[in-house]
Amino acid sequence: MSGGAFEHLKALVVEDNQHMRTLLRSLLNALGITQVLEANDGEEAFSLLRDKQPDLILSDLSMTPMDGIAFVREVRTSSTSPNPYIPIIMVTGHTERHRVEAARDAGATEVLAKPITAGNLFQRIGEIVDRPRAFVKCPTYFGPDRRRHVDEEYAGPFRRRDDFENDLAVR
Amino acid sequence: MPISEAEIVPAEQYPALLSATRRGQAMSLLRSHATLTRANRAIAMRCAELRDAVLDLVDRLRQAALIADWQNVYDATHEIRGLAATAGLPATGRIANGLCTYLDCVARFALSPDPEIVQLHLGAILRSVRTEDDAARHGDTVAQELAALVSRKLGEIKDSASGIPPSSALLKRSA
Repeated sequence: MSGGAFEHLKALVVEDNQHMRTLLRSLLNALGITQVLEANDGEEAFSLLRDKQPDLILSDLSMTPMDGIAFVREVRTSSTSPNPYIPIIMVTGHTERHRVEAARDAGATEVLAKPITAGNLFQRIGEIVDRPRAFVKCPTYFGPDRRRHVDEEYAGPFRRRDDFENDLAVR
Repeated sequence: MPISEAEIVPAEQYPALLSATRRGQAMSLLRSHATLTRANRAIAMRCAELRDAVLDLVDRLRQAALIADWQNVYDATHEIRGLAATAGLPATGRIANGLCTYLDCVARFALSPDPEIVQLHLGAILRSVRTEDDAARHGDTVAQELAALVSRKLGEIKDSASGIPPSSALLKRSA
């Protein structure tokens, strides 16, 4: 095991399927992350998050009683959340667009579609390590900036059409 | 939401996953062939166990389909699509994905699934999961055919929701 850069990290795997949990643990171990906590659902995970303070979360989307979306929202917005900025990779078999968007809108840092491959998981972890994203805080959302592409040419203050329209209305 | 109401917290202002000194080493590890090989070996070692898990799920799916328990049919199929490819059953995963897409759409339109569509997928999953190399033994072709069927059915469901008569009805009318 080469460990190195990742060996001090603690990961939390939230997944109701025991086989998938074991698989994710094995992949994290291969990367040198040996401290892997496991939870069956969002409620158990939130409790572990408070008690053990992991550095990285891999969470499934479909779980009961608290699913992945509710869990991510709780982590990002609850007043009792110990780390609202923690990177969260949402691992999901749901490839339908509306579900992926729901995961993103809840505040997931990355979305990883099943079937899981080592390459895909490492690519998502690489994004978190190499290109950490700014967080956006507004009345309806708190989480990583959902805009991945920054237009270097853009110099104005407005990011959306309604910002521009509101500004015109004020004038 | 006007941008003026949103506060941006730059990445430098919250704790990073890794310190700047460790980032380079971490990226080398993530991109290294040795790490990937070690991880793929870890998956391969669990392949037989995952295949057994898929077989159990297929049995759960079969039982649920027998009694038209559509929620359980969906749950089992969803688990199969997530695990099958990692267990070395890519065609099984693709067939399960097609069935999930169909069931998801049907549920969104508050309709009951067509039992024939479920049975066709179930039969294909049962056959593909028992072969040694599901993709090589016509599994991919079956998955493609079923995907085309699902796509047509979904089109009919969406047309019917928007008031457009199904293409089969149009054909009958023109005849």
